[in-house]
Amino acid sequence: MSAFDSIGEFEHMVLLAVLRLDDNAYAVTVREEIFKHTGRDLSRGSIYITLDRLESKGFLKSRLGEPTAERGGRAKRYYTPRPAAITALKESRRALESMWRGLEARLA
Amino acid sequence: MIWRMLLKLIPGDLRNSVAGDLEEELISIRQRYGRALAVFWLFGATLTLAVRFQLEEFTNGRPLPPIREELRRKPHMLESVRQDVLFGIRMLGRQPVFTAVAVLALALGIGANAAIFSAVDSVLWRPLPFANPNRIMQIAEQRPKEGRSFGPVSPADYFDWRRESRSFAAMAAHLDDVVNLTADGEPERVHKLNVSEPFLRVLGIVPVYGRDFQAGEEIVGRHRVAILTDPFWRRRFGADPSIVGKNIQLDGNSFQVIGVLPSGFWWPSPADMIVPLALEDSDRALRGAHFLRVVGVLHPGVSVTQAADELTAIGAKLSQTYPAENSGHGPGMRPFREALVGEVRAALTMLLGSVGLVLLIACTNVATLLLARSAARQREIAVRRAVGASRGRLIQQMLTESLMLSLLGGLAGLTMAWWSLGVLRQILPAQLSNLPGLASTGIDRQVLLAALAVSALTGLLFGIGPALAATRQDVGVALGEETRGNSGGSRALRIRSTLVIVEVALSLTLLVGATLLIASFRNVMKVSPGFGPGNLIAAQISLPGKRYPDQAHSAAFFQTLFSRLNSVPATAGVAATAALPFSGEDSRLDLDIENRTAQANSPIRAHPRLVSSDYLRVMGIPILSGRPFSDRDNASSPPVVMLNDAAARQYWPGENPIGQRISLGSPARWMEIVGIAGDVHHHGLLSDPVPEAYIPQLQGFRALGSGLARNMTVLVRTSMSLAAEAALIKAAVKEIDSQQPIGAIQSMAAIIDDSVAPRRLNLILMSGFAIVAVVLTAAGLYGVMAYLVSQRTREIGVRMALGASRWQILGMLFRHAGLMTGAGIALGVAGSALLTRWLTTMLFGVSRTSLPIYLAVSLLLSLVALIAVAVPSRRAVRVDPLIALRDS
Repeated sequence: MSAFDSIGEFEHMVLLAVLRLDDNAYAVTVREEIFKHTGRDLSRGSIYITLDRLESKGFLKSRLGEPTAERGGRAKRYYTPRPAAITALKESRRALESMWRGLEARLA
Repeated sequence: MIWRMLLKLIPGDLRNSVAGDLEEELISIRQRYGRALAVFWLFGATLTLAVRFQLEEFTNGRPLPPIREELRRKPHMLESVRQDVLFGIRMLGRQPVFTAVAVLALALGIGANAAIFSAVDSVLWRPLPFANPNRIMQIAEQRPKEGRSFGPVSPADYFDWRRESRSFAAMAAHLDDVVNLTADGEPERVHKLNVSEPFLRVLGIVPVYGRDFQAGEEIVGRHRVAILTDPFWRRRFGADPSIVGKNIQLDGNSFQVIGVLPSGFWWPSPADMIVPLALEDSDRALRGAHFLRVVGVLHPGVSVTQAADELTAIGAKLSQTYPAENSGHGPGMRPFREALVGEVRAALTMLLGSVGLVLLIACTNVATLLLARSAARQREIAVRRAVGASRGRLIQQMLTESLMLSLLGGLAGLTMAWWSLGVLRQILPAQLSNLPGLASTGIDRQVLLAALAVSALTGLLFGIGPALAATRQDVGVALGEETRGNSGGSRALRIRSTLVIVEVALSLTLLVGATLLIASFRNVMKVSPGFGPGNLIAAQISLPGKRYPDQAHSAAFFQTLFSRLNSVPATAGVAATAALPFSGEDSRLDLDIENRTAQANSPIRAHPRLVSSDYLRVMGIPILSGRPFSDRDNASSPPVVMLNDAAARQYWPGENPIGQRISLGSPARWMEIVGIAGDVHHHGLLSDPVPEAYIPQLQGFRALGSGLARNMTVLVRTSMSLAAEAALIKAAVKEIDSQQPIGAIQSMAAIIDDSVAPRRLNLILMSGFAIVAVVLTAAGLYGVMAYLVSQRTREIGVRMALGASRWQILGMLFRHAGLMTGAGIALGVAGSALLTRWLTTMLFGVSRTSLPIYLAVSLLLSLVALIAVAVPSRRAVRVDPLIALRDS
């Protein structure tokens, strides 16, 4: 099973968003980041579930931040990519690029 | 607290951070949509998340590596939820009547709320379809001394405001117009919106084909260009983009199509095309004639107050420079949305409030039903507790049932809302369908979420009380009581009686509101418009200037038309006017009285009415003194004029104006006053009559431009039906001029009817709510009394065995029902006295504390209560003492 099989399009987007956000990746910012780049307004539930799944698959690890007053004293759950995520993303990119090669003229 | 309970459904390890995320987002949602909607959002979002997590767990399981305490308990809890749902389905299915009544009550409540919420949302809250909806302002003339606000603007004032103001990025005047289109195909009357060059920039709209207007195109001679609206372009030109650059004929003049507007373009008045508002130099200088409407878009960062202050300063300067025309009035502004919805805001808020009351009644009703059921299940619950079920477990199960019930109700309610919105769109009066978005109101995601959140909330709120009440009792006591079979639910009965009292009170409030509106409507309809609208048919005809260049030509057309229509035996009279009452058409001019010096501070003005000589007779407007016009008042005879009573009273108090001479507008032309006519409510039944001056059509009138005499409404007093008369008019016009189109043909009664349509809609909706409320209340009363009878069967048996007569038993039951109803009515009267304050602006000729109405409504509710109580009471007095005693 290659890494490309192991992550879906949705998980792909979420992983990229986490990478882009560096150390500020939590559910709210991930959702905003995806919206900003793709215009897709994903439901909160999908984001939470995907983050959760990616963590259990070993692509992400999470830690709790400092509680803040504006969040009613509740901490943020920050996500950071594990090496497996980088490998999977590289692998899927490589696979996609290979599939694209030679199609530029037909899909231009 | 309920939110915390919802959060419990989210997995424990994520719960805290998810709750934090929601609170974080709540801040911006609250800023954007206000507190109330934010709360809805929070519940909706949490509920959706909870459902997602539960589903995920149900289908995939959450394979998080560290197994914690919560997780170890999860499968157990999930299993119990599954059990509860299955058990709930069985219980609801076993009592189909109970389920149906509860679901119906909730469906009515939630359905009506979702429908009205959708309408209110689209009218009051959703942004207007413009680029910067919040920065677009209506700028208009304020006349505080005359008690008039946001009136039309004179051209000279508009150009001064536009030049002087720095707060506005763009400011544009607009003016509705109807012209005859004679391109290829049938001639047609089309709506043309005349606008200043920056109009589309104000709205932030760019044509999809072609271009916007250019600066020079506001100048007469270069103004013959048009931008079509999307629906008109599709209908008339088959959505052909190559129309851009071609010419169309409007009133015989050639206009080049330079663009097509996007399909999303929306404007409150009908518009088939927009063309530049090109005013002659003499018209640009007009300061006394007010006929333009103005919109502007603020520069980003300029506050409403800053802009308003600047406008006031500009106005003050203009008043000093032009005291004759501008003293006592000046510019004012308000957000464009206010200009559109200002008047209906109160009505919509009232409807939203009323529909909220209906929901409250529905919830109360379901609570009484649930209480009744939990009381009936006392024994089952006691047994389950005796065999080891915890109280929490039982509460969870009962809450599951009430949640299922309310969600079922919510779904049925949404179906009902979807259906009733369809009906609402059908009965929407024309004036209201101009409101942004109301015509396209539908159930969207927001409404869906709000309805589901309300359903869930209802289920929790009105399930938790009965659940607590049912499980509170001590096991031994409950079992013991049940075996003794006495009315152990006396506490529950008290709660339920209180709920019914609340229901009666709420229904009374709604009924009073509805009845006040009905009474007002009847009073409005009793107001005489000042003429006889029966058997009167009105047809709009506007003659193109090219073929009818002067007033003699137009007059000849109308004279021929009159004689043709008059030759039909069914016709009792034919006339024409340039400003039909109730049509909204109007203009106002300065009035000079011969040998009287005008005073700058209190200008004398009158509304000119160009009419044919037979107009007053055909309309049925009485002549109070002097003589009517005749055909001898024509171009070759001395100019004459008739005033209405309001003008005579206002400007010649205690004097007889007949024989004096006046002039209207400029250029001055002296006309002799020959008669005084009765007043007409030109702007609607409830408007005050304004000073009017009738001018004979044959003598013509130049002060308002030559177009006036060409745009006339022909009136026929006839015994024929509308359809037959319309066909007759069309045939007659076609015979005289085959290229001449005809505008709307309507009966005068229908025109008056339309003018009260918004009022009628309020009344229909309010009455609908009141009827629903009364039905729900009757069901509630019935439920309580039926419960009382079933609880007291044994007691009734004993009493009857001891010799109580049926009448005594009946007396006992009716005393209880009477007390509940009486208390409810008393509470309702107090509530109505408070709440009808919001109705005051919608009432006419009736006091909001009208005693007869309160009495009638109380009586009606008592009667309904009596019927609701009669059925269970009959059952009670048929109790056979032997059976009653043996059963227990």
